[in-house]
Amino acid sequence: MASERPLLIPSPRVLNTQDLFTVPVLLDLFKSNSGRPVSFSGMETKNPAENSSSVEGTLNSSSSRRSILSSHSKASGGGGNSIREVTFADMGSKPVRHGSRGADSEGLSTSQKEISDEDARLIYINDPVKTNEKFEFAGNSVRTSKYSFITFLPKNIFEQFHRVAYIYFLVIAVLNQLPQLAVFGRGVSVLPLAFVLSVTAIKNAYEDYRRHRSDRIENNRVASVLVNNQFQPKKWKEIRVGEIIKIHASETLPCDMVLLSTSDPTGVAYVQTVNLDGESNLKTRYAKQETLFKMPEKENVTGLIKCEKPNRNIYGFHANMEVDGKRLSLGPSNIILRGCELKNTEWGIGVAVYAGRETKAMLNNSGAPSKRSQLETHMNFEIILLSLFLIALCTVVSACALAWLLRHKKELNNLPYYRKWDYSRNKDYNYYNVGWEIFFTFLMSVIVFQIMIPISLYISMELVRLGQAYFMIRDTEMYDEASNSRFQCRSLNINEDLGQIKYVFSDKTGTLTENKMEFQRVSIWGVDYSGAKSQIEPVGYSVQVEGKVIKPKMNVKTDPELLQLSERRNDTKEGRHVYDFFLALAACNTIVPLVTDTSDPTVKMIDYQGESPDEQALVFNVLGLHEFDSDRKRMSVILGCPDKSVKVFVKGADTSMFGVIDKSLNMNIRRATESHLHDYSSLGLRTLVVGMRQLSASEFEQKSLEDAIVMSKKLMTVNGVTDNTGGSSEASPTPVALIIDGTSLVYILDSELEEKLFQLASKCSVVLCCRVAPLQKAGIVALVKNRTADMTLAIGDGANDVSMIQMADVGVGISGQEGRQAVMASDFAMGQFRFLVPLLLVHGHWNYQRMGYMILYNFYRNAVMVFILFWFVLFTAFTLTTAINEWSSMLYSIIYTSLPTIVVGILDKDLSRRTLLKYPQLYGAGQRHECYNAKLFWLTMVDTIWQSVAIFFIPLLAYWGSSIDISSLGDLWILAVVILVNLHLAIDVIRWTWTTHAVIWGSIIATFICVTVIDALPFLIGYWAIFHVAKTATFWLCLLASVIVGLIPRFVVKYLYQYYSPCDVQIAREAEKFGNLREVGDVQIEMNAILGPQRR
Amino acid sequence: MSSRGAASSSGGPQLGTSDSSKRISKKPKYSRFTQQELPACKPILTPGWVIATFVAVGIVFIPIGLASLFASQRVVEIVHRYDQECVPPIFSSDQLAYIQSSITNKTCTKNFTVPKRMKGPVYVYYQLDNFYQNHRRYVKSRSDTQLRSKAGELDISNCKPEATTGNNSPIVPCGLIAWSLFNDTYGFSMKNKVLNVSKKNIAWKSDQEHKFGSDVYPKNFQSGGLIGGAKLNASIPLSEQEDLIVWMRTAALPTFRKLYGKIETDLEANDEITVVIQNNYNTYSFGGRKRLVLSTTSWIGGKNDFLGIAYLTVGGFCMFLAIGFILLYVIKPRPLGDPAFLSWNRNPSGIMN
Repeated sequence: MASERPLLIPSPRVLNTQDLFTVPVLLDLFKSNSGRPVSFSGMETKNPAENSSSVEGTLNSSSSRRSILSSHSKASGGGGNSIREVTFADMGSKPVRHGSRGADSEGLSTSQKEISDEDARLIYINDPVKTNEKFEFAGNSVRTSKYSFITFLPKNIFEQFHRVAYIYFLVIAVLNQLPQLAVFGRGVSVLPLAFVLSVTAIKNAYEDYRRHRSDRIENNRVASVLVNNQFQPKKWKEIRVGEIIKIHASETLPCDMVLLSTSDPTGVAYVQTVNLDGESNLKTRYAKQETLFKMPEKENVTGLIKCEKPNRNIYGFHANMEVDGKRLSLGPSNIILRGCELKNTEWGIGVAVYAGRETKAMLNNSGAPSKRSQLETHMNFEIILLSLFLIALCTVVSACALAWLLRHKKELNNLPYYRKWDYSRNKDYNYYNVGWEIFFTFLMSVIVFQIMIPISLYISMELVRLGQAYFMIRDTEMYDEASNSRFQCRSLNINEDLGQIKYVFSDKTGTLTENKMEFQRVSIWGVDYSGAKSQIEPVGYSVQVEGKVIKPKMNVKTDPELLQLSERRNDTKEGRHVYDFFLALAACNTIVPLVTDTSDPTVKMIDYQGESPDEQALVFNVLGLHEFDSDRKRMSVILGCPDKSVKVFVKGADTSMFGVIDKSLNMNIRRATESHLHDYSSLGLRTLVVGMRQLSASEFEQKSLEDAIVMSKKLMTVNGVTDNTGGSSEASPTPVALIIDGTSLVYILDSELEEKLFQLASKCSVVLCCRVAPLQKAGIVALVKNRTADMTLAIGDGANDVSMIQMADVGVGISGQEGRQAVMASDFAMGQFRFLVPLLLVHGHWNYQRMGYMILYNFYRNAVMVFILFWFVLFTAFTLTTAINEWSSMLYSIIYTSLPTIVVGILDKDLSRRTLLKYPQLYGAGQRHECYNAKLFWLTMVDTIWQSVAIFFIPLLAYWGSSIDISSLGDLWILAVVILVNLHLAIDVIRWTWTTHAVIWGSIIATFICVTVIDALPFLIGYWAIFHVAKTATFWLCLLASVIVGLIPRFVVKYLYQYYSPCDVQIAREAEKFGNLREVGDVQIEMNAILGPQRR
Repeated sequence: MSSRGAASSSGGPQLGTSDSSKRISKKPKYSRFTQQELPACKPILTPGWVIATFVAVGIVFIPIGLASLFASQRVVEIVHRYDQECVPPIFSSDQLAYIQSSITNKTCTKNFTVPKRMKGPVYVYYQLDNFYQNHRRYVKSRSDTQLRSKAGELDISNCKPEATTGNNSPIVPCGLIAWSLFNDTYGFSMKNKVLNVSKKNIAWKSDQEHKFGSDVYPKNFQSGGLIGGAKLNASIPLSEQEDLIVWMRTAALPTFRKLYGKIETDLEANDEITVVIQNNYNTYSFGGRKRLVLSTTSWIGGKNDFLGIAYLTVGGFCMFLAIGFILLYVIKPRPLGDPAFLSWNRNPSGIMN
């Protein structure tokens, strides 16, 4: 997948084009090798609670402030060799940017792949007419809606019939239209199909209406476009490829365009791609130097851009441009994409190359991958069983009918209730031969017993999942204030899987730690500045510059001692060291300070943005910068100080830094530092070593051209940065943990060692995998997924987690700092890792319990009806007459019994949130398939048969040999069965809220009303039957007896099971009800940290 | 109904969301409904409740059972099967020939004694066995439109094979049901005095008023190749043809009774009643049985011990269960909601399966 979907934005400072083409693969591996231990832990799910609780603790202690320092690790800069070539002569002059130089240089551009004419699209700059005359490029109006007014009906119906379930409905309805098979009336037989089609259609229409509305808003936005040598406002939808467009700061780009010039004399433009890939940092894009100074208003800019066909790769672009007879090649750094926002740049001018649906943003706008829940997979197996039941029932009926026909063969002509012979025409009426009759009987019985396959279940399940998703999204406990993001249900098919997770695979960095780091303690020249002194409340520290107060956006803890020391830099040696240290921190990074206005005009806010250096902000001249990379594991910057001295600052991981330390350095300082380092890391802090050396001019010239600046360090400091890791490994009381790194995994995955690793890993409570590539992550997930039937969940926030998220049964994305890639690939997305606890333990548990019960109940509900119909068929000479009115039997699963199961499926709660969090072990119910399994299925089916027998035979025996007519008895049966199935549900409902009461009793009342209304229609055979039969005592006695007798076995078994062999959930429910939540000693897991304010 | 709905509302690169829209807090509004915290009742099947339920069912069911059994016992019912006896012995080997012949004497006289006092009205039923009035071909073979109004006379598509005469004129009432109208008649006399059998008000008023038209008269009825049953007086509208209306309320089960008429006077115990039966209806071709039934009525309907016995059984069984549960509870109680019973507490190692 790596080659299909590049995951990170390559740095614009890519030197050679070779890199350009290898970027995808390289970058996939990049992040995990970047020295940030990307851990990847599999643990048994009794642990997520433990993990997250400890994570929680650290998270709570650290506020949402984000340290500047964290950004070093955000260096998403590409490639290895991005050192800046700066000659010493440049010193003091304006630094040169090297954005597109590499691609510019002649030697390299010739090596660039030619775009063949068939694969190219030609864009004549500022000549949209010519551009669009040959090829029909898409206009810029976008259409995410699927239907128009006219196409809605045919298209929607066509799409709906892609589902097998609907085709089943259709086939049944069509079969019923054949005169020989017409069991139900024409109108009635299409009712169920029409119902589900219209429900779905209404839902689709509403969604499409919303898309139409957003499309209209989007298409009517305005951009300024060059028309007749003047920039004029033009609606987005009218923009055409080839037109020149001017974008101002903070405006959103209407289409993909190649930059021609910007307000910056060097041709830089900063764009924010948050809408595209979610990365909130700024990215640099460059205009070509050849077009930089052209003024489209004054001179007529012409040229030809030859670029590749539209594709969905947002990190790649491949084109060349001919301007003034010169041929320039264009790369991804020269194109700005629709949906991005221009920032920190006054204006930018570009030429539209892709518009509308051909823009990369639109091409990427695809839905989440669909997964099927495990419960549904099991359910489909049971549905096959039910189909076998159905076939068996139909076969029994056909066989009996055959026997009956053969026995009465001679009488058929004159049998008063058969009368095969038509005396007026002297031929058989509606009779072919025994074989055909049996065949028809079989098909007719399929029509009559059709609801044995609970098609309505699929629709109910979708509605229930929709409802469950609604409540998950609305859960205030899963709303993240910091990112202002709600929980997102991107996939609606696997809500219930959340209740059955056995293995959790978590990305560590960013996911567990949120990528938020705080400066905690420091050791400078062997002096430890930490401890109680710095434990002061964070205050907003501000600086006055040119009469303006500038303060950082986020408040930082300040240590007055350090502050004092650094201010007295020239007085003491110690102060000098401290000053240098902070200078190193300030310089040795790639951070953009964004100065924003606040309500108070004298106070400015600084927001630090990672990536995209802006050296203008520094007093010092940056002479060279060597970005962080994974091989060197350090970053260096060379500064020219105002006093003409040149200093090199280096910052990096301890392992790489100690190697380059000046050996002549005082051993005491070195040892002290090392011990501090050790202390810090034992505290769970992430450490960073910073070094500095003063350079002579000649030295600088000589060394800086080399890739590796190896030099001795005079100054050595150690940073401790809180890393909110604590989580998976140390904090949990685990007896065994396995730690494995990516290099080892290379040899293990895809070999016979896999099995051994799996066995070893399953013996451990925690498995930590460090430094693994994205595909290895997926490999680990697959390792577990393929070897067990248990459910896996992968959670991650970065692009490198995409493959693992897609591989796992349930993928959860964190909508954090690292972009939307993980979210886009995920099934569920949330703001913080800690939401995993309520998601799994609470919502997952509920969803699983609800869905499991709902499926069983729907099986039962439909089967009990089918059996009642079946029993009656046995008393009608096997001819598939239905005593129950055809309207009632169709409305049975639509009106009479559908709503309660849906509402209960959405709202019922077996346990309160509080209890579920208190006893995380209760989650095991889902892992053990307690709510839906084969045993329960068969028990339910036995119960179903008993209930149908009770409902059918009590009235049958009571009315045997009486003058009851078919419609009256049918009314009795339908009322009895509706009351029975609703009471059955009522017995199983755990929490009775007013909604539950309303739907259950409401359904029974609605059934009475419907039956009455149907019997008040004079053209139906059962006219007024209910009014006659309801006057008799026998009717009510039968109703009461059949319902009670039907329910007794279930009630008894349920009671005995719950009382004498209680499951954990049952005990917890009792404890909840009787206030018996006694503490039970150390077995219980401390989860209180996550418990919000009192919730039930 | 794919996952698109969710994707469009939540995920996806949402183009053009400006900064201002981001600052609006998306925090879900708190309500007890959205947080699933509506006040709720959480019933649990405690021994107390369960035992109380079963006792209650027993207390309700046993009296009902006794009452209905008592009511059923008080109903006096005289059932007399006559299909075999009413065939002269010479035809016993070929009953079909007897019934189909137009020259044989179908009259058959029977006597029976009233066992107990029968308070009027005494209902006279005929009972047929093994007659599938609920057969699919049969139930569908009628035209409600035609029965209801004269205008619907030609709506006979469902009535085949008894829709038209040989020369294509429509039959009213058409269809197999009407065609097979029961045509045995009973004449009652007691002590040589004719017992009047009222044939009025034996059909449902609702049927007479709304399903069978007062302007619809029988036409071409029973004129086809095979006579199925009774003929109708062509001068009486269908709404007044109560025997037909009763017959056309098709029975639910293959053994059924139909109301023939009512004897409005009381019958005393040991009264000798003579019935003159016109045995016309052919049930011999399919082995159907015919019975004549005289029955009084009660609140429970006719004589049927089943419901009473069923209620007594169920009530008794529930009482038995209640006692059983009480005993079980006394012998082996379990404290409710004791966390010590949780699986991980019972199993000190804390390892779950």
